[in-house]
Amino acid sequence: MTKRTGVFVCHCGNNIAATVDVVRVAEELGREEGVVYSKDYVYMCSDPGQSTMAKAIKENKLDGVVVSCCSPTLHEKTFRDVTEEGGGLNSFRCEIANIREQCAWVHSDKPKATEKALKITKAAVKRVQHNQSLTPIGVPVTRKVLVIGGGIAGIQASLDLANAGFEVILVEKNPTVGGHMIQLSETFPTLDCSQCILSPKMVEISKHKNIKLLTQAEVKEISGFVGNFKAKIHQKAVYVDPETCKICDDCAKVCPTVVSNEYDVGLTSRRAIFIPFAQAIPATYTLDESACLGLNPVVCGKCAEVCEAGAINYDMRPKVITEDIGAIIVATGFDLYGKENLGEYGMGKYSDVLDGLQFERLCSASGPTGGHVLRPSDHKEPKNVVFIQCAGSRDPETHCAYCSKICCMYTAKHATLYKHHVPDGQAYVFYIDIRSGGKGYEEFVQRSMERDEVMYLRGRVSKVYEKSGKMIVLGVDTISGKNVEIEADMVVLALAMQPSQGTADAAKTLKIGRDKDGFLAEAHPKLRPVESVTGGIFLAGAAQAPKDIPETVCQASAAASKVIQLLSKDELMHSPTVAKVRLSHCTGCEMCVQACPYGAIDLGAPSNKARVNDVLCEGCGTCQAVCLRAAIDVKNVAQVQIHDMINACLGV
Amino acid sequence: MAKVEQTAKDETGFEPKIVAFLCKWCSSAGSDLAGVSRLQYPSNAVPITIMCSGSMSPMFVLSAFNKGADGVLVSGCHPGDCHYLKGNFYARRKIYLVQKLLQFIGLENDRFRMSWVSAAEGAKFAQVMHDFVADIKKIGPQTRLKAKRP
Amino acid sequence: MIDVAQLKAHAKGLLEKGTVRTVFGYRKSTAGLLAEPAGITEAAQADDLIFDPSCVQNLALYLVNDKKHQAEKRSDDKRPVAVVAKGCDSRAITVLLQENHFPRESVHVIGVSCEGTGVVDASKLARKLGNKKALAVAFDGADAFAVTTNEGTQSIAAAEVMAERCLECRSAHPTLSDVVFGEAKAERGLHTPFQAVKAKIKESEGDRWAYWSRQFDRCLRCYACRSVCPMCYCDECVVDSINFVIAPDTTAEEKAERIKWIERSPAKSESAMYHMVRAIHLAGRCIDCAECERVCPVNIPLRLLNTRLEMEAFETFQYSPGSDPELPTLTSSFRDTDPNSFIR
Repeated sequence: MTKRTGVFVCHCGNNIAATVDVVRVAEELGREEGVVYSKDYVYMCSDPGQSTMAKAIKENKLDGVVVSCCSPTLHEKTFRDVTEEGGGLNSFRCEIANIREQCAWVHSDKPKATEKALKITKAAVKRVQHNQSLTPIGVPVTRKVLVIGGGIAGIQASLDLANAGFEVILVEKNPTVGGHMIQLSETFPTLDCSQCILSPKMVEISKHKNIKLLTQAEVKEISGFVGNFKAKIHQKAVYVDPETCKICDDCAKVCPTVVSNEYDVGLTSRRAIFIPFAQAIPATYTLDESACLGLNPVVCGKCAEVCEAGAINYDMRPKVITEDIGAIIVATGFDLYGKENLGEYGMGKYSDVLDGLQFERLCSASGPTGGHVLRPSDHKEPKNVVFIQCAGSRDPETHCAYCSKICCMYTAKHATLYKHHVPDGQAYVFYIDIRSGGKGYEEFVQRSMERDEVMYLRGRVSKVYEKSGKMIVLGVDTISGKNVEIEADMVVLALAMQPSQGTADAAKTLKIGRDKDGFLAEAHPKLRPVESVTGGIFLAGAAQAPKDIPETVCQASAAASKVIQLLSKDELMHSPTVAKVRLSHCTGCEMCVQACPYGAIDLGAPSNKARVNDVLCEGCGTCQAVCLRAAIDVKNVAQVQIHDMINACLGV
Repeated sequence: MAKVEQTAKDETGFEPKIVAFLCKWCSSAGSDLAGVSRLQYPSNAVPITIMCSGSMSPMFVLSAFNKGADGVLVSGCHPGDCHYLKGNFYARRKIYLVQKLLQFIGLENDRFRMSWVSAAEGAKFAQVMHDFVADIKKIGPQTRLKAKRP
Repeated sequence: MIDVAQLKAHAKGLLEKGTVRTVFGYRKSTAGLLAEPAGITEAAQADDLIFDPSCVQNLALYLVNDKKHQAEKRSDDKRPVAVVAKGCDSRAITVLLQENHFPRESVHVIGVSCEGTGVVDASKLARKLGNKKALAVAFDGADAFAVTTNEGTQSIAAAEVMAERCLECRSAHPTLSDVVFGEAKAERGLHTPFQAVKAKIKESEGDRWAYWSRQFDRCLRCYACRSVCPMCYCDECVVDSINFVIAPDTTAEEKAERIKWIERSPAKSESAMYHMVRAIHLAGRCIDCAECERVCPVNIPLRLLNTRLEMEAFETFQYSPGSDPELPTLTSSFRDTDPNSFIR
């Protein structure tokens, strides 16, 4: 127990001082046992505040410091740095008493708030008096990165990292990289062709010496911790050797099984043995086990018979690959909101009600119609097309509460593209309002209205139904206040973006949090937008929130730079507030071993008592609560500290 | 009749002493959010931030009552959201047992409460505080387990 | 019916061959009806061993104590010890194994069947006999005891004088043993398990507190309950500030960090704390041998208190203490489906 505690009470301007009598808090704390210095100051975190603190620590030979101020999430680091660098006292001798967020800001009765602030500060004093000096534990790092998801986010992050000299393992669950971006026809607002800008990056991925690409693979298990993760990756058997495959298409010609083509969002079909599209990376055919007539035993075997290169091997088996890695970037992307949820718009019921991605494929030169916008039902050119925005977005009662962000722009793009393809056609857009923030975005929307004469109707569509070959769209134009009925040839829904299944799976495997909508949770919404709460795991792209291509690329590069920052050091520092065993009291009952969420405790020879792996221990204290003998404690949050804090809180 | 008693109790000016054990990552962060959002709630509960609800030893609960707490709250991350993966699941089982035992020996039901408050639930945190203080005001001071000290 | 001669012969054989260091069993007491625990080391002493309904003690305690004695003596005799174990006692041994208190090979479990009748409750028997004094009690078929008094031997319905715990016993037969004597009688099923606890729960909160407050008020803090409990094997009790263990490796810092959770004085609040901590620490570990209640000099119904959480373990978490030494313990495990609705 330390004897010379110093207390610094911050006014935070009027933020604290308005509700808490800070002068009284400082005075009363000065009379506490073991407190030799107690002072209030208007802004502790200011430069003069920090210097006062450093000076007081030195002059009064303080051996413990309590700063009574805002939440530790804000300035714990600041004051611990001052303690160590300015005061020459170990930083772990400094504790924060949160009297702003947990007191001044939530109460208005000054005497009562002051009483509470006193208790909070006294408790912190009790705690700090048992604190030990600690030094962070150095941990060597593995300079290799796992990137999960091979869409534009994963591609960009991988290339940035690989170009910075780090080894990258890029895991993609589909047979090719490219993600949703490669399905797009053109991109807003410049209308450059998506394939033209993405394909070179995909090729670079396949050729880069620092990148190991694993397609049709999924991360099944992650163990370890920042700098020292171990990943277990399952890769499906592909049955075609990519090195020998000549991409001649002979195999697909003889394949008897026809299934819907994912790349064209079901607008075309493919064979069981297939290449997703001509520019797919890796450039190889692949055999879809689930569609094939049978591999064990081989039922048909025609593809192997015709393959002159002998690239097809039915004996391939799934692989389990384990990799040591230092950091992880999760770029698992989005899916479109389930069409089954939007029955009122006829989605899934009428073949001429399409989602945005299907429309992209219709516009694409490599798409099912060779770049002609034709109705899927009768292959006729649609003359009236209705685009419905916010299909599933911004509808907290029945669908998603959030704005999917990109739909205003891509709908404007779709309408423009449609007019380019069908100059004598008419495009209608139902919208709630237009959100076109972004460089060149607003101009793009205006152009679609003015030059391409897209008819924008402000209002919601209530129903879409079919009547003699036409899609009847019933809506309301809230500007004219009239009900609108449009006889459309085609309806395109700007479906909400939602986190992909892969995002949900990755969150589970990596044990990282998700927000209320299922998107991956960032460590801080403003200041740490590319980090997950778990050290060493970073986020990029639409898995974190709906975003467009430029933003995704930004975030991917940001995540990559965070990883570079992390792995550029030889050693990482691990928090030293880890569990410690009192060997004299441990009986080796193994309860802590069973309960530790990190597998950080085992029984050590020769006495078979609990032994903590300091690097694996995260300091959660689950062990201390299951131990019947108080034989294990987390450093600086020991039970004796909680005990004394309880007393302080109750004024005993 | 009950209502009359109620008012009578309130007039005695009983201010419950409550210890609130908040896990660092969810509930303490949730209380910070309540602060940032300036949500007002009674000042009776003094927070003690623990690393995880999983580190909540039954000793803390019993000790707090022994030292005169009128109420004890344990708050952690929602199931599945624990920063330490599963600490709150261990907590849930243990706290359940402690609660059953306290009820069995006849401590008033409402004195010991557990809640899940996420870092995003500032409003919920304030509500939990409101409810808890109101419920304890109804039952009055805790005398059953409180040690009589000189 | 259990053949005690076989039990004796087995114990004798073990000691003659020297395969075990000690046999813990029961012998006739000189101080009353109930048998007394005996640790015998000579083959000749095996003739003293008995097993009848007066053998109420849980001998698992003697395994725990023996371990301490061996450590104190710095004995290098690594031979196992043998112990006579009823169903409940065997569950205690299982819990001790689950907690690695000693390795399985260090104990030779001589399982005994307590037949259909369990053991007696001496005070119930005394009440039943009135002026007569019981001298011996023996198993007498599936539902009776043969009680010998100064006026001769009579048969008494077992259910009338059986220990409370035996009435509620859920697994009377040893779950763990190297050898068993007597017939396997798994379920007795005379009373619904946890019936006493359930009855108490039905009472009002105020009544319950009045009841327990009276009980805790009488506690002398003699710690007999802790001493007799095989699960209370800690060298230092977390709620007892006078038994701090100072080991050679105890640091000054550790001495300073000792926590005084409760006061030593036997005040109601402190005794309540003590008994509740003990109940919590026994959650998922108490195998209901009821020894704590039997030895309590002021008759605090400790079995009632400690089985409260056993009921919860069994009914809510489907956890039976002492059923499997390989299972994680109750509180160091969880299920996703554990109760959640009590949380706000």
